[in-house]
Amino acid sequence: MINYIIRRFLILPFILFGVTILVFSMIMMLGPYQRLSTYINDPAQLKGQDMDKLISKYGLDDPWYEQYSRWIGGVVHGDFGWSESAGQPVTEAIFSRFPATLELALFAVIPVVMGGIWLGVLSAVHHNQKFDHIIRIISTIGWSFPTFVFGLLVLMIFYGVLGWFPPGRLSADAAAIIRSAEFVRYTGLNVLDGILNLEINVVFDAFRHLIGPIVTLAIVWWSYILRITRSSMLETLRKDYIRTARAKGVAEKFVINKHARRNALIPVVTVAGPMVLGLLGGVVIVESVFGYRGIGQYAAQAAQQLDYSGILGVAMYFSFLLILINLIVDVSYAVIDPRIRLE
Amino acid sequence: MSKEALVEVKNLKTYFYTEEGVVKAVDGVDYEIYPGETLGIVGESGCGKSVTSLSIMRLVESPPGRIEAGEINFKGTDLTKLSEKEMRKIRGNDISMIFQEPMTSLNPVYTVGDQIIEAITLHKGVKRKEARRQAIEMLQKVGIPLPEQRVDEYPHQLSGGMRQRVMIAMALSCDPQLLIADEPTTALDVTIQAQILELMNSLKESYGMAIMMITHDLGVIAEVSDRVAVMYAGKVVEYTDVDTLFDDPKHPYTWGLMNSIPKLDKDVDRLEAIPGSVPSPLNFPEGCKFNTRCPLAKGKCYDVEPPLEDTDGGHMVRCWRYEHLEEIKKRGERIYEDRGVQK
Amino acid sequence: MEWKEILTRLIKNKLSLFGLIIILFFVLVAVFAPYLAPPRSPEDAYEIPRAGWQVEPQPPREGYLFGTAQGSYDIFYGMVWGTRTAFRIGVIVVGLSSLFGIIIGTLSAYYGGIIDEFFMRITDVFMSIPFLVAAMVLTTILGKGLDNVMIALVTFGWMGTARLMRSQVLEIKNEEFVQASIALGASDTRIIFKHIIANCIFPVLIQAFMRMGSMVITASALSFLGVGAPEGYADWGQMITFARDWILGGQGSALKYWYTVVIPGTAIMLFSLSWNLIGDAFRDILDPKLN
Repeated sequence: MINYIIRRFLILPFILFGVTILVFSMIMMLGPYQRLSTYINDPAQLKGQDMDKLISKYGLDDPWYEQYSRWIGGVVHGDFGWSESAGQPVTEAIFSRFPATLELALFAVIPVVMGGIWLGVLSAVHHNQKFDHIIRIISTIGWSFPTFVFGLLVLMIFYGVLGWFPPGRLSADAAAIIRSAEFVRYTGLNVLDGILNLEINVVFDAFRHLIGPIVTLAIVWWSYILRITRSSMLETLRKDYIRTARAKGVAEKFVINKHARRNALIPVVTVAGPMVLGLLGGVVIVESVFGYRGIGQYAAQAAQQLDYSGILGVAMYFSFLLILINLIVDVSYAVIDPRIRLE
Repeated sequence: MSKEALVEVKNLKTYFYTEEGVVKAVDGVDYEIYPGETLGIVGESGCGKSVTSLSIMRLVESPPGRIEAGEINFKGTDLTKLSEKEMRKIRGNDISMIFQEPMTSLNPVYTVGDQIIEAITLHKGVKRKEARRQAIEMLQKVGIPLPEQRVDEYPHQLSGGMRQRVMIAMALSCDPQLLIADEPTTALDVTIQAQILELMNSLKESYGMAIMMITHDLGVIAEVSDRVAVMYAGKVVEYTDVDTLFDDPKHPYTWGLMNSIPKLDKDVDRLEAIPGSVPSPLNFPEGCKFNTRCPLAKGKCYDVEPPLEDTDGGHMVRCWRYEHLEEIKKRGERIYEDRGVQK
Repeated sequence: MEWKEILTRLIKNKLSLFGLIIILFFVLVAVFAPYLAPPRSPEDAYEIPRAGWQVEPQPPREGYLFGTAQGSYDIFYGMVWGTRTAFRIGVIVVGLSSLFGIIIGTLSAYYGGIIDEFFMRITDVFMSIPFLVAAMVLTTILGKGLDNVMIALVTFGWMGTARLMRSQVLEIKNEEFVQASIALGASDTRIIFKHIIANCIFPVLIQAFMRMGSMVITASALSFLGVGAPEGYADWGQMITFARDWILGGQGSALKYWYTVVIPGTAIMLFSLSWNLIGDAFRDILDPKLN
């Protein structure tokens, strides 16, 4: 396992370097004027200055590698330039919205992963029975549903008609409580802070706003996990060692939950990376549909307003996050599968 | 034999209901296994020999498979009538089984020790620590060097022969009265095969259990069996003790099987081969099922299925024309065509 | 397996037959678009005509079968011509990205070593930015418009195929018939085309079917997020964007403007669903044990 993990860490710098090159080459597609915003921290720096002077000041005419080293110097210090659409530096804009997105992602990932695996296993165990057919059809439909259409329908029915789950992140009353002096922001996650401050109304209100986005994200990704778990479980249930376990007199419940499931989950873990990749995209859409003020909504807003530094910053942060998650996935893969661990 | 049979299989029928039609994998099979003896079951692949053993264990995949009729009396209880829960108490405890593929028959994510311990704690009701001690003892008995270390290793760290020893240790860990071995040596190298057979013979002596040895290899049969049932197309075609079978095969199929393998002790310069292959189980011929390949078949053979008849002193044969075969044998002629020269 | 047999079995399976029928329906709509919804001028057929200058959507009525969306855009017209847009995006994006993926995956696996390492690390890099975000960034930088959306989707859409192709080729490469060809001294190109690609193509094809739907969804999501098709362009995502401000309904009824979201939403959903159904059935046919 040591070798495997060392190798995994050795390619890490290459990937990081590659991503910065990829993002930088997209920056270089922009004209020098447009690129300016990725180098400054405050629009005041531009005031009363001649454009050509600015270009030479920031070296926007230099060869690309000089520009790259200057840009990467900023990136290393968390400096992604000024975001026009947010009216603040990109890093600040992203970090102020990070807790909101984290809260959404955490609450969505748990039902998606647990529910998907649970239903996938159940579907495989009842292979070709009615339950399995129904689950298959629902998951195919769920997987085919565009996130934004589903989100709009949720909003139309559960807010427009029923008035249950409003868009946004908090209603005015709850927001007022949060802004009050007594309320301590421990984590920035509304639900958690509400519990810690014993403000049941805040918890309730935060939940009410989270349900729409969570359901929307869950319906698509739940189908994805379910399908993978199901086929992996079906394959595992046909393995010889499952027959061995049965021949030993192990009860069917343990055959499935102990002998089969753990093996079936190995391939499921490997798709966790691509899933997070898609889930982060889904977050952008869901946050925009529900007007939920997080990083995704910021990305959409930046893109619409041609705020280049903003959207590039989001791309960089998201890819750092993704690289980190992939690393965790690969390591945990090695831990689950002794064949890799002991190599 | 005067002793009471340990297992008595009577008119067992196990069918598979597939989309293409009903596959009569086992179609009216009778045999007995007495305490402490080894019954060999021999036949080509697809003759139903594995399905009979899975039927005894009640491990036939259902759907599509089902035990359609017959009795399996084990020490006076009909196994076909037991509930799944009662059956689980017998599996791995009174009757245990080892399989053809040692490479895939052990669960890759648990240590071999865990898998043996599971069987012990399941049936003997001992604590884990005691079970572990017994597991190590079992590994020692099956000839695994350094059992204290091996017990904590994963299957992929062991060779094929070692894994089959682990399977045997697991199967014998609860002192079964019957061990079903489904082609236990087919996947192994020839030298390892001999070791495993020798191990099984010596363990049979010390444990006093009965063995049901399923194989397509007459060499294996000669080495371990006391009595033999030859199966063809879901039926027993010849059933007698091992010496009689080899000295005086009465069914043309058995005769063909024996003369298709080279022998060192006899100076035969030509081998015979049974033409064609086993008919599709969806589409068995009328009359004797061997009539598509039998050089002696004529008249009645095409219309009426012969019964399993006692020819002399317990030598059972399912053939209309076995007497005819006797005459041919006396004349020293062959009934099948030459396969080639043996030098 | 023969193509003919695959097709027969696709038709026999109820779910994939449903998918095939819907795809056929969309194909017919796309082909006969000029008759179903005659454009005002053939040059800008993709420009959705407007019924007037009213901002509020109007329900289905005479002459406007599906009603009009925000800005009085004719929903029926947008749906009909949007079908062509969907096929164009699907075919071009999936076709080009699969082609790149096949080339990179095959070269990677066939030559192995440093070439493999190089291509796979590049693949990793491209997979390190969330697909939708990467496509958004590139479209934003290149500028609005469907062509740029397609460029962005192809740029960041080939990696899945490359990885799949690589693993397929690695498997096939060690098969005896390929080894035999190599031993006989067949040229690389001959081996790659005759043996390897021919034997790896099915899984890639299944993946391509599945991607037809998801690419069209992504493209319409980009339109929805405001970086895709320009306003008034016949595109399903665009039609839903028109609905965005009206989903909460108006006086009297919360579902007053249902048609603005349900009609285009259903079209996108059915389009993607039918490709997925066909892909699923296809996989079951080729790999029956996983059905």
